[in-house]
Amino acid sequence: MKISKGDPMDFITFENVEREYNIGDTVIKAVDGISFSLSKGTFNVVLGQSGAGKTTLLNLLGGMDSPTSGKIVVNEKEISGISEFDLTEYRRTQIGFVFQFYNLVPNLTALENVQLAEEICPEPLDAREMLKRVGLENRMDNFPSQMSGGEQQRVSIARALAKNPQIVLCDEPTGALDSETGRRVLRLIRDVSRDLGKTVIVVTHNAPISEMAHTVLHMRDGKIAKVQLNEHPKDVEEIVW
Amino acid sequence: MVRGALFKKSLRDMRKSKSQFISIFIMATLAVFIMTGLDSIWFTIDKHAYNMYQSTNLSDLWVTVASPSEQQLWGISKIQGVELVEKRFSIDADTDLPGKPTLHVYALDDRTILDQPQLQNGRFSKSGGGAVLDSRFAKAHNLRIGDYISIKLNGVWLRIQIDGMALSSEHIYAVKNSATLTPDSLDYGFLVIRTKALESIYGQKVYNQISVKTSPGSDLAQVVQKAGDVVGDDVIGITLQKDSGSVSSVNSRIQQFKTLSLVFPVLFLLVTALITQSTMVRMIENQRAQIGILKALGYSKRSILWHYTSYGVIVGVLGSVFGLLLGPNVFGRIMVPQLKLTLSSYSIRINYVNFVFALFLILMCTGGVSFLACRNLQSDSPSALLREKPPKSGKRIFLESMPSLWQKMKFSSKLIARNIIKNKGRLIMSTIGVMGCTGVIISALTVRSTLSGIGDYTYGTTFTFDQKVVLDTAKTNSVYLKNLELDGITQQLEESAVQVIFPDGVQKMELVNITTKESPLIRLQDIDGNPVSLPDNGVLMTRKLCRERGLNTGDIIRIKLTDKGYVSVPVIQIAYIASGQGIYMTDTYWESIGEKFKPTALLVRWNGEPDRKFLSSDVVADSATRESMQDSLSSSIGIVNLAVVFLIILGASLAFVVLYNTGMLNFAERVRDLATFRVLGFHHREIRYLVLVENYFSVLLGMLSGIPVGRFISWIIASSIDERLDLLGNITLTDVLTAGAMTMFFAWIVNRVIAHKMKEIDIFEALKSVE
Repeated sequence: MKISKGDPMDFITFENVEREYNIGDTVIKAVDGISFSLSKGTFNVVLGQSGAGKTTLLNLLGGMDSPTSGKIVVNEKEISGISEFDLTEYRRTQIGFVFQFYNLVPNLTALENVQLAEEICPEPLDAREMLKRVGLENRMDNFPSQMSGGEQQRVSIARALAKNPQIVLCDEPTGALDSETGRRVLRLIRDVSRDLGKTVIVVTHNAPISEMAHTVLHMRDGKIAKVQLNEHPKDVEEIVW
Repeated sequence: MVRGALFKKSLRDMRKSKSQFISIFIMATLAVFIMTGLDSIWFTIDKHAYNMYQSTNLSDLWVTVASPSEQQLWGISKIQGVELVEKRFSIDADTDLPGKPTLHVYALDDRTILDQPQLQNGRFSKSGGGAVLDSRFAKAHNLRIGDYISIKLNGVWLRIQIDGMALSSEHIYAVKNSATLTPDSLDYGFLVIRTKALESIYGQKVYNQISVKTSPGSDLAQVVQKAGDVVGDDVIGITLQKDSGSVSSVNSRIQQFKTLSLVFPVLFLLVTALITQSTMVRMIENQRAQIGILKALGYSKRSILWHYTSYGVIVGVLGSVFGLLLGPNVFGRIMVPQLKLTLSSYSIRINYVNFVFALFLILMCTGGVSFLACRNLQSDSPSALLREKPPKSGKRIFLESMPSLWQKMKFSSKLIARNIIKNKGRLIMSTIGVMGCTGVIISALTVRSTLSGIGDYTYGTTFTFDQKVVLDTAKTNSVYLKNLELDGITQQLEESAVQVIFPDGVQKMELVNITTKESPLIRLQDIDGNPVSLPDNGVLMTRKLCRERGLNTGDIIRIKLTDKGYVSVPVIQIAYIASGQGIYMTDTYWESIGEKFKPTALLVRWNGEPDRKFLSSDVVADSATRESMQDSLSSSIGIVNLAVVFLIILGASLAFVVLYNTGMLNFAERVRDLATFRVLGFHHREIRYLVLVENYFSVLLGMLSGIPVGRFISWIIASSIDERLDLLGNITLTDVLTAGAMTMFFAWIVNRVIAHKMKEIDIFEALKSVE
């Protein structure tokens, strides 16, 4: 289970991970034997066209899916092949999710959506504090339907971070937002995770975003076509898309 | 072409939302099943009995007199509304068959048309030689046409040949005497002979009853009153057809099932209507985008309307027809033969009027509602329809205005509370379903326990004898009874059917019980259970009889004395008797108004073993133990128990369908929220908790609201089920708890199924679907 200790490069490791789906009689390899490692506390981007397998990769890393073969190790624990219950535990304690369509619970106020994290996590961060950090201290008691898309996405970020996870996974977080709002959301994700020392993985088909990442995984047809390391990631304001 | 494609779409849509379609189908089936089923029971009896009354020319009333004169016949025939007047002889006779069964003998003139036997085979000769025998009795005693039978009339044996076998309108449900409650064709039957045959015994033709047929719609109370005036003091009693033994028993059976088939189907239909209509509306609204697509493709408004209306019409019709096929066949075929009625036919009849009504209502709630819902959506433009309907936004709920409470609530409780308030429609739906279920079960259990309680009350509290001995009054007299020494407590009782005129003008024969003041073996109580004793200066009447006639203590009734006129007596006391309504008085009071106390029965509580020698002596005409009477009472109402079992099963099915339906809706409509919880790291059981607590909340609400419903239904049933029984219809805690436990159990099963389904469905698919 344990692999070489202390090397921050090995915080997240994929080894020959495959994920097949049976659709009718045909077998589709959504993820086809990929291997990579990511360091703790970095900002990473998975880039690829739709159908390249990036969402599957995110699901595998997020414990929402298990690989058909191969090994996934996160924070010195193997998560490939563990039980449904343990996967849920893993999601609960290690992972924060930010979705393209926010997935806030419409029945709960902004504050309560963030408080969801307090319900289940062992060491949650204060919900009000998190909402303040994403600039929503005046919107706490609003329901999602009363907020703009950007505001909803900020609630979603606050919720992901309030769980105090090791890893924040973002699936096209700017996909439903205009470019200016998207920019602000991205900066927020990066700044807050950096302050809190979280590892971030953003999945997107939007190439310019990759310029702000430490590591960029280029995906094509279920494989990693290229791993690009940026010595000096750009600031969000410098990126044009 | 257009129709073809749409039709295929209908079929596929139905397959896709099969659980909803199936539940609508089942509910329609259930409602029609129970309605046509219960209806078919009384409808079948009613039709066949009515046919028998018609074909045998059953009289509308009988005037019993010692010996009817021609003037009396003529006088009655002149009363307005009277069509036909005849006379006959009617009496109970002993036979020489094993077990000494009794035959009720009717002697008819050869030209009579009224009260004919309904011949099954053989003939009823006019010449006067032979007799027609009760075919059930013949079968029980293995008698055939051509056999001889001996009956004892006026102390003389008459041997007569059996010419035919028949049924009688007066013996559809006939019992021998007050010691028996259920018909027993081995012990009691009827025999019809010609009056000529009586000449050898009485020396002439004799008669004791005037049969009267009236024209339809005539005022029978008026006829009775005038007939009473015509015969004057000669009258022994006047009996209306509906009050005569068999007819009133048959009617009370009809009434029992009519009551059940009024209350329960209405409840089922109501619940079915509410639930089908809200399910249909939801289904159509979920088809919003499809309606937009169809419109955008250029389908006409009408074909789209029909397409969606047909959904409801098809399931509605299918369910109703299925219920119609099932109900009468299951209910009718099982229950009708259990009623111990001797009818000429048992073929099941269906009350199509009610079926059409139910079908109409169901079609309104399925087809009609989908039509309206679809038409509402049609008013939007296709582009508006294609856009996703904005999700219902969260709202503050009233609980939040109490911050002290709201802040103390657990997070999941807050979520559940908000969700419940947000989806009021679903909550109401499942609450009504459960309410119906609990209501049906409570009332079914209450009917069962009140009916069985009657046996306990009557033969445990009121009557405390071990044995009721019916005396042969020809062989007993006061001296004999005075000298009779039995080892135990005895009580003399005279049971006599006496003509009574009530203050409201109604005249009818009522059972008068005359007994001793001490009354050690009949313990009368008032409605609150306080003992009451027989008054010295008037009579005691049972509560039910008082209510029927609108009487109170202090009111005066008039009682016909033997061979004399009427005497006015005051009602001094009212007592509650569950079974055996009538008038009670002391022997001294009876004698003080000019009658003679002639005990017809002896109630005995033995100190040790029953005195076999006494019981087999010839003064004893018949005897019955209290246990056998109680059994017989229970079995005469036991048929209702069977209906109760059916009703509980149906109530349960209702709960199953509704709970499954709304439970799955609760899950399906929130699948995105639940998926989000899963992603956040909620475990299966935590999510299950969120969904199931909400389901159980509606179950609890439904159960609580089911209590008054059950109470109301019980009360309706108790007050109308049988005019001879005084039922209180109070629901007991035990019955309520049992019903609650049963409902909870059903809910538990349904929630197990839903929990299982929740695990089956790939919850993450729900999140992806939008992207």
